[in-house]
Amino acid sequence: MSKDYDVCVIGSGAGAGPVISELAKAGKSVLVLEKGPWLKEEDFFKDEMACCRRSTYTPNLEDEQHVIEEETDNGNWLSEATSESGWDFWNGNVVGGASNFMSGYFYRLKPEDFRLRTEFGDIKGANIADWPISYEDMEPYYAKAETEIGISGQVIPHKYQEPRSTKDFPFPPTSEHPIVKNIDKACDALNLTSLTTPRAVLSRPHKGRESCEYSGYCGSYGCHSGAKGSSRAALLDDAVATGHCDIRDNSKVYKLKSDQHGKVTEALYFDVNDKPQSVSAKQFVVACHAIETSRLLFASNGPKHPNGLGNNYQQLGKNLLFSGGGSGTGEFHYSKMDQLTASAMKTRGPFVNRGLQDWYFFNDKAFGGKAKGGVIDFLLRHPNPISKASSARYNDDDNLNWGQPLKRDLKTVFTGSQDLRFEVFNDWLPTDNCFVSLDNSVKDKWGSAVAKVRVGYHEHDLKVGAFLADKAETVLKQMGADNIRSSVSGSPPVNLVAGGCRFGDDIKTSVLDADCRVHDVDNLYVTDGSFMPTGGSVPYTWTIYANSFRVADIIKQRV
Amino acid sequence: MNKQHSKLPGINRRQFIQAIAALSASWPIAGMASLEPLGVSHIETYKNLSDPWLTIASVQEHLFPAGDSSSQPSPGAKDIAALRFLRNMLEAPDTESEEKSFILNGVTWLNDLSLKNHQEKFINLSPENKETVLRQIETSNAGDRWLSLIMGYLIEGLLSDPVYGGNKDQLGWKWLEHIPGFPTPSVDKVYFKLGAHASPKRRTKA
Repeated sequence: MSKDYDVCVIGSGAGAGPVISELAKAGKSVLVLEKGPWLKEEDFFKDEMACCRRSTYTPNLEDEQHVIEEETDNGNWLSEATSESGWDFWNGNVVGGASNFMSGYFYRLKPEDFRLRTEFGDIKGANIADWPISYEDMEPYYAKAETEIGISGQVIPHKYQEPRSTKDFPFPPTSEHPIVKNIDKACDALNLTSLTTPRAVLSRPHKGRESCEYSGYCGSYGCHSGAKGSSRAALLDDAVATGHCDIRDNSKVYKLKSDQHGKVTEALYFDVNDKPQSVSAKQFVVACHAIETSRLLFASNGPKHPNGLGNNYQQLGKNLLFSGGGSGTGEFHYSKMDQLTASAMKTRGPFVNRGLQDWYFFNDKAFGGKAKGGVIDFLLRHPNPISKASSARYNDDDNLNWGQPLKRDLKTVFTGSQDLRFEVFNDWLPTDNCFVSLDNSVKDKWGSAVAKVRVGYHEHDLKVGAFLADKAETVLKQMGADNIRSSVSGSPPVNLVAGGCRFGDDIKTSVLDADCRVHDVDNLYVTDGSFMPTGGSVPYTWTIYANSFRVADIIKQRV
Repeated sequence: MNKQHSKLPGINRRQFIQAIAALSASWPIAGMASLEPLGVSHIETYKNLSDPWLTIASVQEHLFPAGDSSSQPSPGAKDIAALRFLRNMLEAPDTESEEKSFILNGVTWLNDLSLKNHQEKFINLSPENKETVLRQIETSNAGDRWLSLIMGYLIEGLLSDPVYGGNKDQLGWKWLEHIPGFPTPSVDKVYFKLGAHASPKRRTKA
């Protein structure tokens, strides 16, 4: 029986892009079904209202939402729909997904991250598992992502530098803010290795994409120049140009239909006019964001999979991951600088591009010896003015601030200091209290049950986060910052999500096999962050890209 | 990376909308001047004002007055066209009708209180009495929410791109020495003409 396409891919973000482009370039017919609209470079502006004040790139929560389960003080789990709470769990629902809006801090995992359980042992209450593949299996694809996505950076030898098959990055680091010199100086004095943060932003034009324009507004914003390595700019445009790839935007897949052998036959979706449609393909790939991927598989029951595809052993949706850690700030007051220094500090545009990995692993009695830490990254306070003004919203008496006191406070917030922030990334340990299921009482606008997400965290994550935040504060102190503060919490960062369909060798403890194919479904792959059994202590995007390139090579052999 | 922990502390959006809807229902609906639907207006909005806009403009000017203690120019609500911004946003397709009614009906409430306590409508009160009345309504939940909304739109009108009708001549940005990013949006690419708001199904509904 003939199929409409060789491969049907659900989603178009970082996990989908490499599979789409690699298969299209290999001459296979590829159909992409993306729920969101197809916005292009000419649709992206530095408009805070669009990026950050209104739901422009994400659905109205009345139409599509989540139900979030949080632990109360007395240990019960309380669920609340996000249309009620306003707690928006969407990232970027457009062609290219959330990779359009990332800041592009790109880190590889370390070899030890692939075997965390072997290296560091079990932690009570955490479901730590080794990966079924090693860093050496992934390395060629990390390298491939550097050139295909366009990653700028500079290798600086340090004790935890991961092995590389190429000497250095294909693109030199992006331009750097003058404050970087002060960070380097402070790190030198503290005997720390200040590292250049690799960034998925072009420092030179590449394959029809412009290099960065350094407007100073990157994270949360769509990129106008094409320099940011979104799946759309770096991969999808080329895939469409091959003539083998069709992208259907505004197409929401609600079920994968499977036959009596457990094989997926069709993707069922609502088109732009909310009309139900179906399409057949030889192979199916799901990569529509960790939470939504689990949700779609739950909704896709069939004769061989009565509880959803890949859920015959109740593993689906389990061990969801966010990113542990927190953030901090220090202020550098212009009144304490000479005019030249102040003017340099006020520079808007270049990146800070500095991070520390001195405590990726560490030895500490409070942690029982050898322990897994994470990374610290430095960045300037986000320049979004409306968001910045919100810090002056209330006065010291907790009343609304207005009149001359408001104007005075705004002036101070905007013109008094340059604020250097840091973010800490450490493992969000997989636990039984962080998972995806379906909520049958809340439906989206098409009538499908929404995803219910339990967002429990492991206390160990806070301990590691606090350890790293303390270290980061020492750098700000050394730099002479005022009003240094930081916070570490178990509140999940909604833009850093993985897990839910962990890969492994045993169908009883994992959803996917080492090839990221659903164990007992011959033609269904999952290539977004869902596959990760543990997340490492870095943002996930580079690993998601690399793994999707890896799986693309596997699928190529099968169609 | 800007890790996004964006949960609003202690605010339940649904309860909030229900609360303001319930309050709105007990008040007469104020006249809603309709601007260009699905567009942003840049016409002068301060001429020949009548209520509710007259009172709202007066509240905005009290909350965000021109001038400050320095000798530098410091714009007020009228200078930045805060009212024009608010009117544009209340007409935006994604603004909930309950919120719009709540803001407009709050004017009646404010004037009732001004008349009761000071025998004058709000716009005729002295700056001291305006402050007293506004701080008084802030003590009720509904009043606090009304003022929060007015303030929220005021700050957006001060610092959003001028394409939305506020931040006139970039006065807000200039006053706070803010360096905007480029490119800035054109009138046909404001947020509600893009993305989720602009998909064909949304357009047919609108």
